[in-house]
Amino acid sequence: MERHDLIVVGAGPSGLSAAIEAAKAGMDVVVFDENARPGGQLFKQIHKFFGSKEHRAKVRGFRIGDELLREAAAAGVRVSLDSSVLGLYQDREVVVRHGGEVFHIKGDAVLVATGASENTLGFPGWTLPGVIGAGAAQTMMNLHGVRPGDRILMLGSGNVGLVVGFQLLQAGCDVVAIVDAAPRVGGYGVHAAKIARCGVPFYLSHTIVAAEGRDCVTGVTIGEVDKAWRMVPGTEKHFDVDTICIAVGLSPMSQLLDMAGCDMVDDPGRGGLVPVCDERGATSVPGIFASGDVSGIEEASSAMIEGRISGATIADYLGYLDHDDEKARVDALETSLDSLRQGMFAPKNRGRVVESTDEGCPVSRNLLEHGFLSDDEVWSYPGTTHAKGVHAVIECSQNIPCNPCQDACGKGCISIGDSITSLPVVLSEKSCIACGMCVASCPGQAIFLVNEEAAEDYATVTLPYEFLPLPVAGTRGGGLSRSGEEICDAVVESVRSAGAFDHTNLLTIRVPRDCAMRARFFRIGRGESCEDKEVLS
Amino acid sequence: MSRIAQHPILGSPERGNLVTFSYDGRDLEGYEGEPIAMALHAAGVVIHRYTAKRHDPRGVFCAIGRCTDCVMVVDGKPNVRTCMTPLMAGMDVRTQDGVEPLDVSDPRIERLASMVERVAAEGGE
Repeated sequence: MERHDLIVVGAGPSGLSAAIEAAKAGMDVVVFDENARPGGQLFKQIHKFFGSKEHRAKVRGFRIGDELLREAAAAGVRVSLDSSVLGLYQDREVVVRHGGEVFHIKGDAVLVATGASENTLGFPGWTLPGVIGAGAAQTMMNLHGVRPGDRILMLGSGNVGLVVGFQLLQAGCDVVAIVDAAPRVGGYGVHAAKIARCGVPFYLSHTIVAAEGRDCVTGVTIGEVDKAWRMVPGTEKHFDVDTICIAVGLSPMSQLLDMAGCDMVDDPGRGGLVPVCDERGATSVPGIFASGDVSGIEEASSAMIEGRISGATIADYLGYLDHDDEKARVDALETSLDSLRQGMFAPKNRGRVVESTDEGCPVSRNLLEHGFLSDDEVWSYPGTTHAKGVHAVIECSQNIPCNPCQDACGKGCISIGDSITSLPVVLSEKSCIACGMCVASCPGQAIFLVNEEAAEDYATVTLPYEFLPLPVAGTRGGGLSRSGEEICDAVVESVRSAGAFDHTNLLTIRVPRDCAMRARFFRIGRGESCEDKEVLS
Repeated sequence: MSRIAQHPILGSPERGNLVTFSYDGRDLEGYEGEPIAMALHAAGVVIHRYTAKRHDPRGVFCAIGRCTDCVMVVDGKPNVRTCMTPLMAGMDVRTQDGVEPLDVSDPRIERLASMVERVAAEGGE
């Protein structure tokens, strides 16, 4: 029987990271993945990641995927694609189906990094064509260049719902609403705010009553739920849609571990049935390890670090590492992982209502209930100040592990400090040179450059813009508020697109001076001219 | 048309050659190598199969080969996950009605079946 030092199941962010560490230690590693392409869900992630430099913050997910594949190839990791692992048996015997045949292979160690699958929700009409998972929407538009639908309702306001909701707008779909039965937005406030300012309404404490249509979805009715999750009669609202996206959480795909006889625990905090394992991924069965979402739902950045920790641990377990070297390296990785698990959205805070930030600022109720900061609330946070000339305004109001803005500013205008979950502070005594690096590097698109008194009769606002068509200097349109309401006329003064901005264009618009601290998005006016990419290419 | 011509982050999507395939007997176009389900979606086809008992329409749900809601009869073979199967020129794709049994003409399966029969006959049960 074929044997390997390490068999990894799943070529996603965690499995590949583990395989790289093990291969670097000199191990013979093979990775099996049932898909035609490696990378798991990373290649569908087109947004810039959070975290700090060591977590590759502000780099888009698919680029991190490319880097990971290059690193795996350089380390000599063999990835066997179109290979479904059917079973994991006694003495680490792995059964794989590939090319219509079934193979039995043994590993001295086996790492299960199978990730998670999407949850769904039953409601009348939920099986109709047009009701899809949010992951399906991401796959369709970001991998295959196909729009999932024209008019879409998103159910779920966690980070998946919010991120995919924004990506649907980027793909040119009309998102009619973000709906969640919970009374508060579940994901990062900055993700919600960038959707809200495009004019997408949030319906919290609402859920789907029914999807309508005979052969496919033609509409949807939502209704309000009370504190006991009962539908409140008379609160129904109807939308004409062709697509309903469901983003109601993920469940670990832990079946193989269960089958292998690992001790399992049903832990709602980790998303469902997960293996009992130590902090380095060792399960109760010697030689079988687990890392990434299969051992508890988090996100790709932590899955990659967990994978590296497990890979190094397995190398040590099989005697491939000098123990002291390994210890120092794993310690550093654990510190890095721990920093991602801090802040309001940390696993330990799941289900808790956080009332104020670490700095003592009140958490915005409007953000939680409607998806955007109110014009008054924005002043509660240290990123918002008045100043003469151009200055950064950072509408970052929650303690999340993210700090690229601090590194982006070469002039020292932005300070977060050592704890990456602290709110950014704009130091108004430092002079901003309006380079725009902070605007482009904020994964939450929460930074604006404002010149409150640019001229006698107007102010300027520079905002991140990741849509097509791209306006040009002179394009006229409307200035939109944080809720997406058109509050003034606006004209584009300049559009900056630089390689370092990585497709985040910087739009500087002129708005009336009283709108300087209220206008946060730009809507192109009807019939206005824009850059025509089709013609240019 | 649901194809994205230009994407603000991804640019213009890489696509294979434009090929013709057959959907329930009529010619459609799609790009070689993309999942069959994507070519169908772009052509406006949303119903992939009907359920066995209630004859309810089903289409793409997970798009990653997990849910099996998108299975169709491809080149005569039933239960093919169209979200995972790359499109090729000339493919014959048909709406699936109910659950169709797998073809068991594989000689190994036949051998196994005759062995089971023989053992059962010899065992005297």
